[in-house]
Amino acid sequence: MIKKEELLKIFSSKIRTLLSRLDINYELLQEIRLRANSPLFIIYDNKEYIVDCDGRLSDSIKNAFYIDINEIKETMEYISNFSFYAFEDEIRQGFITIAGGHRIGISGKVILDNEKIRSMKYISFINIRLSHQIEGCADKVMPYLYDGVGGCFNTLIISPPRCGKTTLLRDIIRQLSDGARGNKGLIVGVVDERSEIGACYMGVPQNNLGIRTDVLDCCPKAKGMMMLIRSMSPRVIAVDEVGSDEDIKAIKYVMNCGCKLIATVHGNSIEDIKNKPILDELIKKKLFERYIILNNESEIGHVEGIYDKEGLKIY
Amino acid sequence: MNKLIGAVLVISSCSMLGFYFSSELKTRIDNLKELKKLLILLRGDIEFANTPLPEAVQTLSKRHDGTYKEFLENISKQLLDLKGESFASIWKKGVKEYLMHTSLVKEDYALLNQLGDSIGYLDKTMQINTLDLYLEQIDRTISELSESVKERTHLYNSLGIMGGIFITIILL
Repeated sequence: MIKKEELLKIFSSKIRTLLSRLDINYELLQEIRLRANSPLFIIYDNKEYIVDCDGRLSDSIKNAFYIDINEIKETMEYISNFSFYAFEDEIRQGFITIAGGHRIGISGKVILDNEKIRSMKYISFINIRLSHQIEGCADKVMPYLYDGVGGCFNTLIISPPRCGKTTLLRDIIRQLSDGARGNKGLIVGVVDERSEIGACYMGVPQNNLGIRTDVLDCCPKAKGMMMLIRSMSPRVIAVDEVGSDEDIKAIKYVMNCGCKLIATVHGNSIEDIKNKPILDELIKKKLFERYIILNNESEIGHVEGIYDKEGLKIY
Repeated sequence: MNKLIGAVLVISSCSMLGFYFSSELKTRIDNLKELKKLLILLRGDIEFANTPLPEAVQTLSKRHDGTYKEFLENISKQLLDLKGESFASIWKKGVKEYLMHTSLVKEDYALLNQLGDSIGYLDKTMQINTLDLYLEQIDRTISELSESVKERTHLYNSLGIMGGIFITIILL
Protein backbone atom coordinates (compact mmCIF):
# COMPACT_ATOMS: atom_id res chain seq x y z
CA MET A 1 0.00 0.00 0.00
CA ILE A 2 1.35 3.42 -0.91
CA LYS A 3 1.08 5.85 1.95
CA LYS A 4 -0.41 8.84 0.15
CA GLU A 5 0.33 11.40 2.86
CA GLU A 6 3.93 10.26 3.15
CA LEU A 7 4.43 10.47 -0.61
CA LEU A 8 2.86 13.92 -0.97
CA LYS A 9 5.15 15.31 1.72
CA ILE A 10 8.07 15.38 -0.71
CA PHE A 11 6.38 17.91 -3.01
CA SER A 12 6.33 21.70 -2.81
CA SER A 13 3.19 23.16 -1.24
CA LYS A 14 1.50 23.98 -4.59
CA ILE A 15 2.14 20.59 -6.19
CA ARG A 16 1.16 18.88 -2.94
CA THR A 17 -2.23 20.63 -2.95
CA LEU A 18 -2.84 19.73 -6.61
CA LEU A 19 -1.89 16.09 -6.23
CA SER A 20 -3.94 15.69 -3.07
CA ARG A 21 -7.00 16.84 -5.05
CA LEU A 22 -6.55 14.10 -7.67
CA ASP A 23 -9.24 11.49 -7.47
CA ILE A 24 -7.07 8.47 -8.24
CA ASN A 25 -6.10 5.09 -6.86
CA TYR A 26 -2.50 5.51 -5.71
CA GLU A 27 -1.83 1.80 -6.24
CA LEU A 28 -2.12 2.41 -9.99
CA LEU A 29 0.09 5.50 -9.96
CA GLN A 30 3.45 4.68 -11.56
CA GLU A 31 5.31 7.92 -12.13
CA ILE A 32 5.13 11.63 -11.39
CA ARG A 33 7.25 13.84 -13.64
CA LEU A 34 8.31 17.38 -12.83
CA ARG A 35 10.08 19.50 -15.45
CA ALA A 36 10.87 23.20 -15.09
CA ASN A 37 8.50 25.35 -17.19
CA SER A 38 6.55 22.29 -18.35
CA PRO A 39 3.23 20.77 -17.30
CA LEU A 40 3.01 18.28 -14.45
CA PHE A 41 2.78 14.77 -15.90
CA ILE A 42 1.77 11.54 -14.25
CA ILE A 43 1.82 7.96 -15.53
CA TYR A 44 -1.29 6.33 -14.20
CA ASP A 45 -2.44 2.83 -15.06
CA ASN A 46 0.08 2.67 -17.96
CA LYS A 47 -1.16 5.95 -19.48
CA GLU A 48 0.32 9.43 -19.47
CA TYR A 49 -1.81 12.30 -18.13
CA ILE A 50 -1.35 16.02 -17.57
CA VAL A 51 -2.50 17.49 -14.27
CA ASP A 52 -4.51 20.69 -14.77
CA CYS A 53 -4.74 23.75 -12.50
CA ASP A 54 -7.89 22.40 -10.84
CA GLY A 55 -6.24 19.14 -9.83
CA ARG A 56 -7.84 16.99 -12.52
CA LEU A 57 -6.30 14.57 -15.03
CA SER A 58 -6.33 15.72 -18.61
CA ASP A 59 -4.97 14.76 -22.02
CA SER A 60 -4.42 18.29 -23.27
CA ILE A 61 -2.07 21.05 -22.17
CA LYS A 62 -4.96 23.52 -22.06
CA ASN A 63 -5.32 24.73 -18.46
CA ALA A 64 -2.30 22.58 -17.55
CA PHE A 65 -0.39 23.36 -14.36
CA TYR A 66 3.07 24.57 -15.36
CA ILE A 67 5.92 23.91 -12.97
CA ASP A 68 8.09 26.79 -11.89
CA ILE A 69 11.81 26.24 -11.14
CA ASN A 70 11.15 27.30 -7.53
CA GLU A 71 8.68 24.42 -7.17
CA ILE A 72 11.47 22.06 -8.21
CA LYS A 73 13.94 23.67 -5.79
CA GLU A 74 11.46 23.37 -2.91
CA THR A 75 10.67 19.77 -3.85
CA MET A 76 14.38 18.92 -3.99
CA GLU A 77 14.82 20.39 -0.50
CA TYR A 78 12.16 18.03 0.87
CA ILE A 79 13.38 15.02 -1.14
CA SER A 80 16.90 15.49 0.23
CA ASN A 81 15.56 15.99 3.75
CA PHE A 82 17.07 19.50 3.79
CA SER A 83 20.46 17.77 3.54
CA PHE A 84 22.07 17.72 0.11
CA TYR A 85 25.34 16.60 1.62
CA ALA A 86 23.75 13.34 2.80
CA PHE A 87 22.84 12.37 -0.78
CA GLU A 88 26.04 13.30 -2.61
CA ASP A 89 26.69 9.79 -3.90
CA GLU A 90 23.09 9.32 -4.95
CA ILE A 91 22.97 12.69 -6.72
CA ARG A 92 26.17 11.72 -8.55
CA GLN A 93 24.40 8.58 -9.77
CA GLY A 94 21.33 10.56 -10.74
CA PHE A 95 18.77 9.21 -8.33
CA ILE A 96 17.74 9.22 -4.70
CA THR A 97 15.62 6.57 -2.99
CA ILE A 98 13.21 7.90 -0.40
CA ALA A 99 11.17 6.34 2.42
CA GLY A 100 8.78 3.83 0.88
CA GLY A 101 11.42 2.70 -1.64
CA HIS A 102 10.31 5.20 -4.29
CA ARG A 103 13.09 6.12 -6.69
CA ILE A 104 13.57 9.77 -7.56
CA GLY A 105 15.47 10.33 -10.79
CA ILE A 106 17.05 13.76 -11.15
CA SER A 107 18.57 15.66 -14.01
CA GLY A 108 20.22 19.04 -14.31
CA LYS A 109 23.65 20.51 -14.87
CA VAL A 110 26.42 18.02 -14.16
CA ILE A 111 29.61 19.28 -12.46
CA LEU A 112 32.72 17.47 -13.62
CA ASP A 113 35.99 17.04 -11.80
CA ASN A 114 38.76 15.51 -13.93
CA GLU A 115 36.18 13.92 -16.22
CA LYS A 116 34.44 12.30 -13.25
CA ILE A 117 30.95 13.38 -12.20
CA ARG A 118 31.37 15.35 -8.98
CA SER A 119 27.86 16.59 -8.40
CA MET A 120 24.79 18.06 -10.06
CA LYS A 121 23.38 21.57 -9.79
CA TYR A 122 20.43 23.45 -11.28
CA ILE A 123 18.30 20.33 -10.92
CA SER A 124 15.37 21.02 -13.25
CA PHE A 125 13.89 17.60 -13.98
CA ILE A 126 12.56 15.15 -11.43
CA ASN A 127 10.99 11.78 -12.07
CA ILE A 128 9.34 10.02 -9.14
CA ARG A 129 8.96 6.30 -9.81
CA LEU A 130 6.67 4.72 -7.27
CA SER A 131 7.59 1.46 -5.68
CA HIS A 132 4.80 -1.05 -5.26
CA GLN A 133 4.92 -3.86 -2.78
CA ILE A 134 2.67 -6.63 -4.07
CA GLU A 135 2.64 -9.56 -1.70
CA GLY A 136 1.84 -12.74 -3.56
CA CYS A 137 3.05 -11.58 -6.98
CA ALA A 138 5.67 -14.34 -6.93
CA ASP A 139 3.13 -17.13 -6.24
CA LYS A 140 3.31 -18.30 -9.88
CA VAL A 141 7.09 -18.59 -10.00
CA MET A 142 7.79 -20.02 -6.54
CA PRO A 143 7.13 -23.70 -7.46
CA TYR A 144 9.93 -23.46 -10.03
CA LEU A 145 12.47 -21.98 -7.62
CA TYR A 146 12.64 -24.68 -4.95
CA ASP A 147 15.15 -27.46 -5.66
CA GLY A 148 13.22 -30.14 -3.78
CA VAL A 149 15.94 -30.75 -1.18
CA GLY A 150 15.29 -27.83 1.11
CA GLY A 151 17.02 -25.13 -0.88
CA CYS A 152 16.39 -23.03 -3.94
CA PHE A 153 17.91 -22.59 -7.38
CA ASN A 154 20.29 -19.84 -8.45
CA THR A 155 17.86 -17.59 -10.27
CA LEU A 156 18.23 -14.64 -12.65
CA ILE A 157 15.25 -12.39 -13.28
CA ILE A 158 15.58 -10.76 -16.70
CA SER A 159 13.36 -7.82 -17.50
CA PRO A 160 13.34 -4.45 -19.27
CA PRO A 161 12.91 -1.35 -17.03
CA ARG A 162 9.43 -0.76 -15.53
CA CYS A 163 8.33 -4.38 -15.81
CA GLY A 164 8.27 -5.15 -12.11
CA LYS A 165 11.50 -7.06 -11.55
CA THR A 166 12.24 -5.44 -8.18
CA THR A 167 8.64 -6.07 -7.05
CA LEU A 168 8.95 -9.74 -8.05
CA LEU A 169 12.37 -10.05 -6.39
CA ARG A 170 10.97 -8.54 -3.19
CA ASP A 171 8.15 -11.08 -3.03
CA ILE A 172 10.48 -13.99 -3.84
CA ILE A 173 12.70 -12.89 -0.94
CA ARG A 174 9.68 -12.70 1.37
CA GLN A 175 8.39 -16.14 0.40
CA LEU A 176 11.83 -17.81 0.62
CA SER A 177 12.40 -16.22 4.00
CA ASP A 178 8.99 -17.07 5.46
CA GLY A 179 8.80 -20.44 3.77
CA ALA A 180 6.27 -21.20 1.06
CA ARG A 181 4.51 -24.19 -0.47
CA GLY A 182 5.45 -26.47 2.42
CA ASN A 183 9.15 -25.55 2.28
CA LYS A 184 10.98 -24.34 5.34
CA GLY A 185 12.03 -20.72 5.50
CA LEU A 186 15.61 -19.95 4.47
CA ILE A 187 17.96 -17.30 5.85
CA VAL A 188 18.08 -14.65 3.14
CA GLY A 189 20.69 -11.89 2.94
CA VAL A 190 19.73 -8.87 0.87
CA VAL A 191 22.25 -6.35 -0.45
CA ASP A 192 20.04 -3.34 -1.05
CA GLU A 193 22.39 -0.90 -2.78
CA ARG A 194 19.68 1.60 -3.67
CA SER A 195 17.29 0.93 -0.78
CA GLU A 196 14.67 -0.13 -3.30
CA ILE A 197 14.07 -3.69 -2.14
CA GLY A 198 13.59 -3.16 1.57
CA ALA A 199 13.07 0.63 1.56
CA CYS A 200 14.95 0.80 4.86
CA TYR A 201 14.34 3.78 7.11
CA MET A 202 17.11 4.15 9.68
CA GLY A 203 18.18 0.59 8.92
CA VAL A 204 14.76 -1.04 9.35
CA PRO A 205 13.02 -2.38 6.21
CA GLN A 206 9.68 -0.72 5.54
CA ASN A 207 8.68 -3.41 3.04
CA ASN A 208 7.93 -6.95 4.11
CA LEU A 209 11.02 -9.01 3.30
CA GLY A 210 10.17 -11.99 5.50
CA ILE A 211 11.08 -13.10 8.98
CA ARG A 212 14.51 -14.58 8.22
CA THR A 213 15.92 -11.75 6.14
CA ASP A 214 18.99 -9.65 6.94
CA VAL A 215 19.43 -6.46 4.96
CA LEU A 216 22.64 -4.61 4.17
CA ASP A 217 21.34 -1.19 3.22
CA CYS A 218 23.01 1.24 0.77
CA CYS A 219 26.01 -1.06 0.37
CA PRO A 220 27.70 -1.62 -3.01
CA LYS A 221 26.51 -5.03 -4.26
CA ALA A 222 29.88 -6.71 -4.77
CA LYS A 223 31.26 -5.72 -1.36
CA GLY A 224 27.90 -6.39 0.31
CA MET A 225 27.63 -9.96 -0.97
CA MET A 226 31.06 -10.82 0.48
CA MET A 227 30.26 -9.07 3.75
CA LEU A 228 26.95 -10.92 4.18
CA ILE A 229 28.54 -14.32 3.59
CA ARG A 230 31.19 -13.63 6.20
CA SER A 231 28.91 -12.05 8.75
CA MET A 232 25.33 -13.37 8.48
CA SER A 233 25.71 -16.94 7.08
CA PRO A 234 22.81 -16.69 4.63
CA ARG A 235 21.48 -19.63 2.59
CA VAL A 236 20.31 -17.28 -0.14
CA ILE A 237 21.62 -13.90 -1.24
CA ALA A 238 19.41 -11.49 -3.18
CA VAL A 239 20.59 -8.49 -5.19
CA ASP A 240 18.99 -6.13 -7.69
CA GLU A 241 20.39 -5.04 -11.06
CA VAL A 242 23.73 -6.80 -11.37
CA GLY A 243 25.97 -6.02 -14.30
CA SER A 244 29.45 -4.81 -13.42
CA ASP A 245 32.64 -6.81 -13.52
CA GLU A 246 32.92 -6.64 -9.73
CA ASP A 247 29.34 -7.94 -9.36
CA ILE A 248 30.17 -10.99 -11.45
CA LYS A 249 33.25 -11.77 -9.34
CA ALA A 250 31.13 -11.51 -6.20
CA ILE A 251 28.41 -13.71 -7.72
CA LYS A 252 30.99 -16.44 -8.41
CA TYR A 253 32.27 -16.11 -4.86
CA VAL A 254 28.72 -16.48 -3.50
CA MET A 255 28.07 -19.56 -5.61
CA ASN A 256 31.41 -21.11 -4.64
CA CYS A 257 30.51 -20.68 -1.00
CA GLY A 258 27.46 -22.88 -1.47
CA CYS A 259 25.07 -19.99 -1.17
CA LYS A 260 22.21 -19.58 -3.61
CA LEU A 261 21.71 -16.34 -5.47
CA ILE A 262 18.61 -14.55 -6.67
CA ALA A 263 19.48 -11.58 -8.89
CA THR A 264 17.87 -9.30 -11.45
CA VAL A 265 19.28 -7.81 -14.61
CA HIS A 266 18.06 -5.49 -17.35
CA GLY A 267 17.34 -7.32 -20.59
CA ASN A 268 14.72 -8.89 -22.83
CA SER A 269 15.76 -12.51 -23.12
CA ILE A 270 18.48 -15.03 -22.30
CA GLU A 271 19.98 -14.36 -25.74
CA ASP A 272 20.09 -10.68 -24.93
CA ILE A 273 22.09 -11.37 -21.75
CA LYS A 274 24.40 -13.75 -23.65
CA ASN A 275 25.34 -10.81 -25.86
CA LYS A 276 26.35 -8.67 -22.92
CA PRO A 277 30.14 -8.85 -22.54
CA ILE A 278 30.29 -9.34 -18.78
CA LEU A 279 27.21 -11.42 -18.06
CA ASP A 280 27.60 -13.89 -20.92
CA GLU A 281 30.14 -15.94 -18.97
CA LEU A 282 27.61 -16.73 -16.24
CA ILE A 283 25.11 -17.99 -18.81
CA LYS A 284 27.69 -20.03 -20.74
CA LYS A 285 28.97 -21.68 -17.58
CA LYS A 286 25.35 -22.44 -16.61
CA LEU A 287 25.77 -20.96 -13.18
CA PHE A 288 22.13 -19.92 -13.04
CA GLU A 289 19.63 -22.74 -12.82
CA ARG A 290 16.50 -20.69 -13.43
CA TYR A 291 15.79 -17.68 -15.63
CA ILE A 292 12.58 -15.71 -15.22
CA ILE A 293 11.76 -13.41 -18.13
CA LEU A 294 9.32 -10.56 -17.49
CA ASN A 295 7.56 -8.12 -19.80
CA ASN A 296 4.67 -5.69 -19.53
CA GLU A 297 2.67 -6.79 -22.55
CA SER A 298 -0.62 -7.67 -20.87
CA GLU A 299 0.22 -6.22 -17.44
CA ILE A 300 3.25 -5.01 -15.50
CA GLY A 301 5.22 -7.96 -14.16
CA HIS A 302 3.81 -10.45 -16.67
CA VAL A 303 5.91 -13.63 -16.56
CA GLU A 304 6.81 -14.37 -20.18
CA GLY A 305 8.58 -17.59 -19.31
CA ILE A 306 10.72 -19.52 -16.86
CA TYR A 307 13.74 -21.38 -18.24
CA ASP A 308 16.07 -23.97 -16.73
CA LYS A 309 19.87 -23.81 -16.89
CA GLU A 310 19.90 -25.42 -20.35
CA GLY A 311 17.63 -22.66 -21.61
CA LEU A 312 14.61 -24.92 -21.91
CA LYS A 313 11.26 -23.37 -21.20
CA ILE A 314 9.60 -24.95 -18.17
CA TYR A 315 6.74 -22.43 -17.80
CA MET B 1 13.59 55.89 59.21
CA ASN B 2 11.80 55.99 55.84
CA LYS B 3 14.89 57.56 54.27
CA LEU B 4 17.05 54.80 55.63
CA ILE B 5 14.75 52.08 54.27
CA GLY B 6 14.66 53.89 50.89
CA ALA B 7 18.44 54.18 50.81
CA VAL B 8 18.87 50.48 51.58
CA LEU B 9 16.34 49.56 48.89
CA VAL B 10 18.01 51.75 46.23
CA ILE B 11 21.51 50.50 47.02
CA SER B 12 20.46 46.85 47.15
CA SER B 13 18.45 47.01 43.91
CA CYS B 14 21.27 48.75 42.06
CA SER B 15 23.73 46.18 43.39
CA MET B 16 21.37 43.38 42.29
CA LEU B 17 21.30 44.92 38.82
CA GLY B 18 25.11 44.86 38.73
CA PHE B 19 25.19 41.24 39.87
CA TYR B 20 22.53 40.36 37.29
CA PHE B 21 24.62 41.78 34.43
CA SER B 22 27.74 39.98 35.58
CA SER B 23 25.90 36.67 35.92
CA GLU B 24 24.34 37.16 32.45
CA LEU B 25 27.83 37.52 31.05
CA LYS B 26 28.92 34.24 32.64
CA THR B 27 25.74 32.47 31.44
CA ARG B 28 26.32 33.79 27.91
CA ILE B 29 29.73 32.13 27.89
CA ASP B 30 28.14 28.89 29.13
CA ASN B 31 25.42 29.13 26.46
CA LEU B 32 28.02 29.64 23.75
CA LYS B 33 30.06 26.70 25.04
CA GLU B 34 26.94 24.52 24.91
CA LEU B 35 26.23 25.70 21.35
CA LYS B 36 29.81 24.91 20.37
CA LYS B 37 29.46 21.39 21.74
CA LEU B 38 26.24 20.87 19.78
CA LEU B 39 27.78 22.11 16.54
CA ILE B 40 30.76 19.77 17.01
CA LEU B 41 28.34 16.84 17.44
CA LEU B 42 26.36 17.95 14.37
CA ARG B 43 29.57 18.27 12.38
CA GLY B 44 30.58 14.73 13.39
CA ASP B 45 27.18 13.35 12.42
CA ILE B 46 27.46 15.00 9.00
CA GLU B 47 31.08 14.08 8.39
CA PHE B 48 31.14 10.49 9.58
CA ALA B 49 27.57 9.24 9.40
CA ASN B 50 26.15 11.36 6.56
CA THR B 51 23.03 11.80 8.68
CA PRO B 52 20.34 14.06 7.18
CA LEU B 53 19.52 17.15 9.24
CA PRO B 54 16.10 16.14 10.66
CA GLU B 55 17.58 12.93 12.04
CA ALA B 56 20.80 14.61 13.20
CA VAL B 57 18.89 17.38 15.04
CA GLN B 58 16.58 14.78 16.60
CA THR B 59 19.57 12.81 17.88
CA LEU B 60 21.07 16.00 19.30
CA SER B 61 17.82 16.86 21.08
CA LYS B 62 17.83 13.43 22.74
CA ARG B 63 21.46 13.65 23.83
CA HIS B 64 21.33 17.25 24.97
CA ASP B 65 19.63 18.25 28.19
CA GLY B 66 20.35 21.96 28.48
CA THR B 67 19.32 25.34 27.15
CA TYR B 68 18.82 24.20 23.56
CA LYS B 69 16.73 21.07 24.18
CA GLU B 70 13.34 22.63 23.46
CA PHE B 71 14.72 24.43 20.42
CA LEU B 72 16.20 21.25 18.96
CA GLU B 73 13.12 19.15 19.72
CA ASN B 74 10.80 21.57 17.99
CA ILE B 75 13.03 22.03 14.99
CA SER B 76 13.48 18.30 14.42
CA LYS B 77 9.73 17.76 14.77
CA GLN B 78 8.97 20.41 12.15
CA LEU B 79 11.69 19.15 9.81
CA LEU B 80 10.35 15.61 10.02
CA ASP B 81 6.78 16.83 9.45
CA LEU B 82 7.70 18.41 6.06
CA LYS B 83 4.90 20.92 6.19
CA GLY B 84 6.13 23.00 3.28
CA GLU B 85 8.61 25.31 4.98
CA SER B 86 12.30 25.75 4.20
CA PHE B 87 15.03 24.76 6.65
CA ALA B 88 16.19 28.37 7.07
CA SER B 89 12.68 29.55 7.93
CA ILE B 90 12.09 26.73 10.46
CA TRP B 91 15.50 27.39 12.04
CA LYS B 92 14.99 31.17 12.31
CA LYS B 93 11.51 30.78 13.77
CA GLY B 94 12.95 28.33 16.29
CA VAL B 95 15.66 30.81 17.31
CA LYS B 96 13.03 33.52 17.80
CA GLU B 97 10.60 31.32 19.68
CA TYR B 98 12.82 29.16 21.88
CA LEU B 99 16.12 30.94 22.37
CA MET B 100 15.14 34.47 23.28
CA HIS B 101 15.09 33.60 26.99
CA THR B 102 18.76 32.63 26.96
CA SER B 103 21.65 34.92 27.81
CA LEU B 104 22.79 35.15 24.20
CA VAL B 105 22.95 38.64 22.72
CA LYS B 106 21.98 40.20 19.40
CA GLU B 107 25.21 39.26 17.65
CA ASP B 108 24.87 35.63 18.78
CA TYR B 109 21.32 35.47 17.39
CA ALA B 110 22.55 36.97 14.11
CA LEU B 111 25.24 34.27 13.95
CA LEU B 112 22.66 31.55 14.62
CA ASN B 113 20.37 32.90 11.91
CA GLN B 114 23.23 33.00 9.42
CA LEU B 115 23.97 29.40 10.30
CA GLY B 116 20.37 28.47 9.46
CA ASP B 117 20.83 30.06 6.05
CA SER B 118 23.91 28.06 5.23
CA ILE B 119 23.11 24.51 6.29
CA GLY B 120 21.61 21.83 4.11
CA TYR B 121 22.05 22.87 0.52
CA LEU B 122 25.83 22.49 0.28
CA ASP B 123 27.91 19.45 -0.48
CA LYS B 124 29.66 17.68 2.38
CA THR B 125 33.03 19.41 2.17
CA MET B 126 31.44 22.84 1.95
CA GLN B 127 29.07 21.95 4.78
CA ILE B 128 31.93 20.92 7.05
CA ASN B 129 33.90 24.05 6.13
CA THR B 130 30.91 26.26 6.92
CA LEU B 131 30.38 24.61 10.29
CA ASP B 132 34.10 24.99 11.02
CA LEU B 133 33.87 28.68 10.23
CA TYR B 134 30.97 29.10 12.69
CA LEU B 135 32.80 27.08 15.31
CA GLU B 136 35.81 29.34 14.88
CA GLN B 137 33.63 32.43 15.32
CA ILE B 138 32.05 30.99 18.47
CA ASP B 139 35.50 30.09 19.79
CA ARG B 140 36.72 33.63 19.21
CA THR B 141 33.72 35.13 21.02
CA ILE B 142 34.14 32.72 23.94
CA SER B 143 37.84 33.50 24.32
CA GLU B 144 37.27 37.27 24.08
CA LEU B 145 34.52 37.10 26.69
CA SER B 146 36.54 34.79 28.94
CA GLU B 147 39.53 37.13 28.85
CA SER B 148 37.48 40.08 29.98
CA VAL B 149 34.99 38.29 32.22
CA LYS B 150 36.88 38.98 35.48
CA GLU B 151 37.28 42.69 34.82
CA ARG B 152 33.76 43.09 33.49
CA THR B 153 32.16 41.16 36.35
CA HIS B 154 34.09 43.32 38.81
CA LEU B 155 33.07 46.43 36.87
CA TYR B 156 29.35 45.52 36.79
CA ASN B 157 29.31 44.63 40.49
CA SER B 158 31.14 47.81 41.53
CA LEU B 159 29.07 49.99 39.20
CA GLY B 160 25.90 48.52 40.69
CA ILE B 161 26.92 49.24 44.27
CA MET B 162 28.48 52.64 43.53
CA GLY B 163 25.55 53.64 41.35
CA GLY B 164 23.18 52.76 44.19
CA ILE B 165 25.19 54.85 46.66
CA PHE B 166 25.39 57.73 44.18
CA ILE B 167 21.62 57.78 43.57
CA THR B 168 21.02 57.58 47.34
CA ILE B 169 23.28 60.59 47.96
CA ILE B 170 21.54 62.61 45.26
CA LEU B 171 18.12 61.71 46.61
CA LEU B 172 19.09 62.56 50.16
